[in-house]
Amino acid sequence: MITMADPVHIQLQPLLVARKKYYQLIHLLFFEPSWNETFVEIRNHGNLHELEEIHEGGKILQNVFEQLTEEQVKREYEEFHRLFVGPGPLVAPPWESFYRSRRHLLFEEWTYQVREQYHQFGLQFKNENNEPDDHLLIEMEFMLSLIDFSLQETRIDRVIELISSQIHFLEEHLTIWVPYFCKRIIEHTGSQLYLGAAILLEALLRFDLTTLLEVREALNDVG
Amino acid sequence: MSDKKNLKDILSNKMQRRTFLKWSGAIGIPVIAGGMGTKMLVVRDEEPKSANAKDTEKIISTCSINNCGGRCVIKAHVRDGMVVRVSTDTQEGGDFSTPPLRACVRGRNYRNMLYDPDRLKYPMKRVGKRGEGKFKRISWEEAIETIASEVKRIGDQYGPESRYVNYASGQSWGLHGGKNAARKLLALTGGFLNYRNDYSSGAGNVATPYTYGTNNSGSSFDTLLHSKYIILWGQNPSEMIFSTPYREYLMKAKKNGAKIIVIDPRYTDTAIAFADEWIPILPTTDNAMMDAMGYVIVTEKLHDQAFLDKYCIGFDGDHMPKGVAKQESLKSYLLGEKDGVEKTPEWAEKICSVPAAKIREIARDYAKTKPAALIQGWAAQRQAYGEQYMRGGGQLACLTGNVGKLGGWAAGTGYWSRSDIVYPFSYENPVKASIPCFLWTQAVEKGTEMTEADGLEGIDKLTTNIKLIFNMAGNMLINQHAEINKTRKLLEDESKVEFIVVSDIFMTPSAKYADILLPGTTFFERYDIGVPWCFGDYVVFGDKTIDPLFECRDEYDVFAEVADKLGLKEKFTEGKTTLDLAKESIKRTRKELSSDFPSFEEFRRNGVHHFKYDSPLIGFKEQIDDLENHPFETPSGKIELFSKALWDMDQHDEIPAIAKYIPSWEGPQDPIIKKFPLQLISWHYKQRCHSTYDNQAWLEEAAKQEMWMNPKDAEKRGIKNGGRAQVFNERGSISIDVKVTPRITPGVVGIPQGAWYTPDKDGLDQRGSVNVLTSQRPTALAKSNPQLTNLVEVKKA
Repeated sequence: MITMADPVHIQLQPLLVARKKYYQLIHLLFFEPSWNETFVEIRNHGNLHELEEIHEGGKILQNVFEQLTEEQVKREYEEFHRLFVGPGPLVAPPWESFYRSRRHLLFEEWTYQVREQYHQFGLQFKNENNEPDDHLLIEMEFMLSLIDFSLQETRIDRVIELISSQIHFLEEHLTIWVPYFCKRIIEHTGSQLYLGAAILLEALLRFDLTTLLEVREALNDVG
Repeated sequence: MSDKKNLKDILSNKMQRRTFLKWSGAIGIPVIAGGMGTKMLVVRDEEPKSANAKDTEKIISTCSINNCGGRCVIKAHVRDGMVVRVSTDTQEGGDFSTPPLRACVRGRNYRNMLYDPDRLKYPMKRVGKRGEGKFKRISWEEAIETIASEVKRIGDQYGPESRYVNYASGQSWGLHGGKNAARKLLALTGGFLNYRNDYSSGAGNVATPYTYGTNNSGSSFDTLLHSKYIILWGQNPSEMIFSTPYREYLMKAKKNGAKIIVIDPRYTDTAIAFADEWIPILPTTDNAMMDAMGYVIVTEKLHDQAFLDKYCIGFDGDHMPKGVAKQESLKSYLLGEKDGVEKTPEWAEKICSVPAAKIREIARDYAKTKPAALIQGWAAQRQAYGEQYMRGGGQLACLTGNVGKLGGWAAGTGYWSRSDIVYPFSYENPVKASIPCFLWTQAVEKGTEMTEADGLEGIDKLTTNIKLIFNMAGNMLINQHAEINKTRKLLEDESKVEFIVVSDIFMTPSAKYADILLPGTTFFERYDIGVPWCFGDYVVFGDKTIDPLFECRDEYDVFAEVADKLGLKEKFTEGKTTLDLAKESIKRTRKELSSDFPSFEEFRRNGVHHFKYDSPLIGFKEQIDDLENHPFETPSGKIELFSKALWDMDQHDEIPAIAKYIPSWEGPQDPIIKKFPLQLISWHYKQRCHSTYDNQAWLEEAAKQEMWMNPKDAEKRGIKNGGRAQVFNERGSISIDVKVTPRITPGVVGIPQGAWYTPDKDGLDQRGSVNVLTSQRPTALAKSNPQLTNLVEVKKA
């Protein structure tokens, strides 16, 4: 049944792939720093010199990765633990419910909400009930899964549904708490890496939501 | 929108979007592969539930085993594997055989503690200098391997006495806990240096038995319903829970018409709630008031001569042990027959600041209003001469014949206990050497020089200093031990203690000194049975409500694995899990101690068991009713107001044979008061259980960390209510906010104990951790902690 949906689907491919890649890049930036596995990858393939020209966060990141040394990665590893892992009071706990609950706790109702979202799509956090489901990286991974589903989908009504699910997740979750998370990083880190990553993360989520809203409107018109 | 956009425009026309997409479209493929190397979202087996088919909420009854005197019932409301809220005992009040075990403010905060984002989550090893706070995440395998090899290396190199499990009370009133797990592991691998006594009632624990032969000098709380006059001497059960239902009994006693007197340097919540009268007193001078009360009672012939004649040694010259002069008697001391000082209320007033007329009045009321209960708190025995305070209370109880009688009270340490369970997790330490727990820093510094005079027992000399410390769920490694700056230097020297393991749920000040730092579990995440301190006829089931979070592990399982590495797992666990331990305790308690103890299922369902008795437990009733067949457990078989054993120690100035007022170092009569003019005390705050929960925001809201200071003292120093001050002496300096209040005696400042030591870059504590200012000089007899004996100066910050 290749009819009206076909051109739309093809038109959407580059957008979805581009989105997938930047979610992945950000996912990597907030992953535990390691010289071989992540940082060299980002430096060699992250296309940061182009990002430098179009975004403030990109400029900072390009600088960081240009001068990257193994010694520097060790320092970033320490900063990563100080910000997100501990031991000790975390500077920027990377879980949604911390920012949204009045008591700043883990495992509050937002943890449930995102868990239900994952379940609705037949997914489940590997460490469910052991660690909270609303960690930044898990929520990013969920967005990536939805993008993958969209890439595999040819029916326009299903594509619209999937786009709506992404909009919903951005509107109800990521774009609500991530700005507060990024604010904490920006205010408290001396690391250019995490400063740049935080600025980029916040901007890209905002950008993504605006794009998707407009895409959905257009698709509805097409549909 | 009027001009509808089409898809093509959206994707290509907007400048920013186009450049962004162009950039990200060009991100290389390898990044993608690397980034997705670790999938955390996996395909779910189950069908998603429909929106209204949520898991129903289960209520699981559990219990904390921290070092609170009470045990409360905590009901975890669990849905989908998460604790969504906690509630507490809903049992109605009124029936004193089944008092409700309701949580206080600390208990209401437990969910916040459980799901605090600052929980320790992964095993860590130290990477910076010790104490610097730099750690690296490691695997459990590496943590276990390191512990096993260090346990062996240090044991082989220095001998078993070099290994020590530090006093720790975060998990202290259950069946297992980290401290016991560590001890068993060490016991199975050659042994460890023991400690004796505690930081709570250390002076009392040693002193009271010289009078009564035991520390079990208390009576069950229902006896208070028969008391006509109650003195709470330095006891504050409104903030520090001695036993969960205690306050209900006090309330009822008050309703029954008992007059309640609270003697305390602070106008405490207990004084507010219960007292007919608050008697402010200067710290370290309690015995002066006690002596003067004794003087009044004896000179006005209000004493119970028949009781003293029959049951006591040493009241007067006619009842002295052989070979001791008559003028060494208590009566002779009170009348000043030997030292020329009559212990009159006027004499005492100059020392303790309680007006002579008030001392007379209380002495008379206490002697005449029978039965009367003099109940002693333990704060006043955490003093330089705390032993005197503890024996001094017993002395007054005997003078008035209030011992062994319903509604009376024998004073002294005051434990009472008649309800017990079986503890199936046990070990036998092949090492017999032991030190007083307060002297562990001395055993690190110069253990090989310690002698009997330092309280070393079980061995003449140690062959080694302490080289390895397990600090499990405890903050005594630095925060709660005296003289933090001194302890800090000791720990920072990595050549002294070579290996320190800490397990905890938060990054406490002690945890900072770990070489290996382990993430422990909260009571929500493990099985146990909780018992109260020595005062209460109840036990509470500690059910596991959820699995441990992150990589947190129960210490029992950790040490089982360490034992496994050393080939001793079977010996360690005896094939049992912690759930098995709970089941075995219940089964054996039913069989060996109490046939009406519930079954495992029943206990688990009810969450609590109340032991029931037909009559109250009256301390020393047996002895008083029938002394011949039930002598006191003292050398003479009588109450030893005069202890020959103490007399024979021949240190009469500091360890007298009868309880006496001894002017304290760093007390109001110490000349250095000119330089440091304020007495500093601390108290157990309602925000915390010792130092546990100091990082909990709700509790800080309930009771802020601040120093109490009398308006007279504040005015002199230009300090306003809510202002910040620096408190210092020769041992250190802290910064703290000040509450200016007439609720504290002039000349005395009070800081709630247990705040987490938080040094700034210059090493000055910013949180108000009182032990920066306390001293490591032990008490004379018990070698115990004198942490409420301090002189300080305060200035506006």
